[in-house]
Amino acid sequence: MSVRGDGGNWPFVQGIRQGNTSANETAVPGLSWNSALNTMSIHLNPDNCLACTTCVVHCPVAAATPAFSGPRMIGPGFERFRLLGLCEDRSLTYCANCKNCEIACPQNVPVATINMLARFAQCREEPPSFRDWILAHGEIIARFLSFIPARLKNFGMGLGPVRNLLDVIGIAKECPMPSFAKVSLRSLFAHSANLETTKKCLAYFPGCYTNYYDPKTGLDVIWLLRKAGYHVIIPQEFVCCGIPLVSGGFEEDAKKNATINARVLADLAKKGIPVITSCPSCRLMLSREMKELFPEIIDEFGEPVIEDCMDVFTRLVESGELSPNTRERNIEAIYHAPCHLRALGGGLPGFELLASLPHSHLQNANAGCCGISGSYGFKKEKYDIAQKVGNDLFMSVTESKCSLVLSECGTCRLQITGNTNIPSLHPVSVLRSLCA
Amino acid sequence: MQRLSTTVLVVGGGATGIGTLRDLSMRGISAILVEQGSLAHGTSSRFHGLLHSGARYAVNDVVSARECIEENTILKKIGHQCIEQTEGFFVALPEDDESYIGSWADACTAAGIQTDEVDVNEACSIEPELSKKAVRVFRVPDSCVDGFRLVVHNAMSAKRHGGRILQYHRLVSIHQEQGNITGATVENTRDGSRLEIDCSAIISAAGSWAGEVCSKAGLDVPVSPDRGTLLVFNHRFTSRVVNRLHPGSDGDIFVPHGSITILGTTSVPTSRPDDTAPTEEEVLRLLDIGEPLFPNLRTYRILRAFAGTRPLYTPKGTATGRGASRNFQVFDHAKDGLSGFFSIFGGKLTTYRLMAERVTDACAAYLGISAPCTTHLEPLVPDPDPDVLAKAARYFPVSDLSLLADRAGDDLIPILNLAEACASEGEGANPLLCDCEMVSLAEVEHVARADDTYSLTDIRLRTRLGMGTCQGTFCTVRAINAMYEHDLLPAKDPLLSIRDFLDERFRGIRTTFWGTQAQEMELSHAIYAGVLNLDTAL
Repeated sequence: MSVRGDGGNWPFVQGIRQGNTSANETAVPGLSWNSALNTMSIHLNPDNCLACTTCVVHCPVAAATPAFSGPRMIGPGFERFRLLGLCEDRSLTYCANCKNCEIACPQNVPVATINMLARFAQCREEPPSFRDWILAHGEIIARFLSFIPARLKNFGMGLGPVRNLLDVIGIAKECPMPSFAKVSLRSLFAHSANLETTKKCLAYFPGCYTNYYDPKTGLDVIWLLRKAGYHVIIPQEFVCCGIPLVSGGFEEDAKKNATINARVLADLAKKGIPVITSCPSCRLMLSREMKELFPEIIDEFGEPVIEDCMDVFTRLVESGELSPNTRERNIEAIYHAPCHLRALGGGLPGFELLASLPHSHLQNANAGCCGISGSYGFKKEKYDIAQKVGNDLFMSVTESKCSLVLSECGTCRLQITGNTNIPSLHPVSVLRSLCA
Repeated sequence: MQRLSTTVLVVGGGATGIGTLRDLSMRGISAILVEQGSLAHGTSSRFHGLLHSGARYAVNDVVSARECIEENTILKKIGHQCIEQTEGFFVALPEDDESYIGSWADACTAAGIQTDEVDVNEACSIEPELSKKAVRVFRVPDSCVDGFRLVVHNAMSAKRHGGRILQYHRLVSIHQEQGNITGATVENTRDGSRLEIDCSAIISAAGSWAGEVCSKAGLDVPVSPDRGTLLVFNHRFTSRVVNRLHPGSDGDIFVPHGSITILGTTSVPTSRPDDTAPTEEEVLRLLDIGEPLFPNLRTYRILRAFAGTRPLYTPKGTATGRGASRNFQVFDHAKDGLSGFFSIFGGKLTTYRLMAERVTDACAAYLGISAPCTTHLEPLVPDPDPDVLAKAARYFPVSDLSLLADRAGDDLIPILNLAEACASEGEGANPLLCDCEMVSLAEVEHVARADDTYSLTDIRLRTRLGMGTCQGTFCTVRAINAMYEHDLLPAKDPLLSIRDFLDERFRGIRTTFWGTQAQEMELSHAIYAGVLNLDTAL
């Protein structure tokens, strides 16, 4: 346990450090009373939790496996003991950080964030596995592999031996993998020209999934913004928002990324340039998680403001700057609301916009979490849980007989399409096709 | 009438009484202890839980200070399961008298208490909730002790050495012949039956009740109960004991305990030893006084308030209340014309063992027994075998193991056996009944099976069931359900048990009924009065 206030020559402190009770010397993990030396880092006050267990009822993971003690126990309940220096509960890693507990909590307790902070602390003691590193550092890996042609990469990723190898390190063989795009969004964007006449400027945070695997969504966002007369920029300095790093327990890396993004966002705010994103998870990280996890960054750079692109498009449609035409094309699709979008508490702008258009037959699946939770469902030991969690949703999607699924989140779409064989798109892509 | 025979009868089942029983038993002296309620029913279960380093007393009471540091060191050795080996901070704020700090540090050194100044910024970084206005911070070897567990573990040790304990037995009369003790009559407070105990000596360790006990022998003693009120907070906002560095005063010590923090205490003379109902004024006053050390104090949730009475020894002409000595006094009533009757007055939890040793010395000398005291050498309960712990890891949450092992002491193996039996019934058969304090069915069942367990409160004291965030909102009904299924507590009506338990919990919450705790009680009310219709059912 780290000791910033070193005990010096204090016999009683040294005694504790050596574990002066024979019980401490046993091989069983977690037998220690190192409370005095447990330096409290930031902790979220668990006092608001009434132990009402509403979060447990809404936790998809707790419903899928008895191995998870549930968000209330692991979060605010155990938080009271963490401050005592007890070893971590075994089931902490079962938390998928899907945020359904926070959505359900009547007391506004940041349950999942408490878990993530605990995960940070756990990973300071015991670094996460190589597999977790890979899953958390998708951006670095994608950049590293960028010199290999996408076709070759995707061919390689599809090969049995490669999947077997990944399976050995703990990435589930059965899980659908995203395909690398031929050219990343940033590269495509760099080669496209902005309309020179426009005056309004908008910065776009595409997020890693859009950038490396799904540039089409990004291009659709940019196309619509330009159509409405915006000058769009994608600042080169933007890095991964860090939410996979948080779930993986990589505190330092997440903090590094948060600092970089916060600085860029602060600069943009100073220049009066609004920022939007098409990824709800990135938005959750930048506008909410960052201030809970790294308050010192917010103290330095101020609170970032980043808007959902679908909110922007709703306004543009309402003001007539964009005019989707639904007379020739009906929307026959089923919509899945990503958990992180619901966690943001700002409604479902993508669904509401498309559903409000004339001749729209967009239905809301309203069937909970898809199970993937970023990289959670890729993990071999979590794969079955993720499948069980997503099962309701897969059934709803299949039974809807729709030929298209809409959802803002890239990995949600990957999971749904992988399990139902029904193609999926970001709502923005439908909007673009209607505005063409 | 039933008759028992022993050498020494000890009156009072608090830390001192049980410590005395242990000492007598370890010296091979046959002894019986009677306690009017359950173990530690008086002051010992109403603890602040500060295992004093003595620094608190160094300036005014150097004898107490020396005793504290010696006993502190001994208890960490023999009773580590009852002690969180934290350290303590003494923190001076700008408004505190600068000159006192120097004399305090000198007095500590003189008493043999190590103090070490800590850089204020460093102190604030390791205790982030501490006031940034702190001007001087010192480290001292304070620790936290679970007073109730200390009594239970002493009782386990005493029983192992042959000591007998009669709970729920009240002293009715003391028998004497020609100025010598010959025995006593005690009454079972649960069924009213009486019992004669023949003995050669009586030791009164009744704490605040010492006056009542002595009056049975027709003696008058100068013990005045002094009421102290404490606040329990829902979480641990400090990792160490934090004292205000100024002359001892109300409400300036914070003691973390497991998952909670306790702030105390006040000091008000009272006439009744059982004057233990705190008032809202006291609660608000404690918050006022504590706030300078922890500026966010009012944002933390208060679980409850409680009060206990200190048995201050105040011979005529000495100070009472805060000014009274915390020292103890062994009294041989031969001086009053009654041989074989000894009393121990005053003192504090930290020095209970020394008090027991001194009174046992006096009693042994009277009995002509020369066996020396060994209570400072032998652990109260042995450390569990690593194999037992490894096995326990299969049935209990690993993170909870150290808590369980420390709490259970001698009972770990029987609890483990019950858990094993539970587990053979299928997955999840040893569920946590109390999530807040991580108490599982096996532990509750073990305590419930004991002969001297009569109520959920008895179970609570041994396991911490119902002592966490929800204060019984969820665990009461779960525990009663489990009891019912396992046919435990047969004498008690389940609905009455629920009501009695929740009533007891609510007594401590009534004076802190605001904020989140009020919301919690609304939820509790909805569950028990609404869903379970308890008000109408009873």
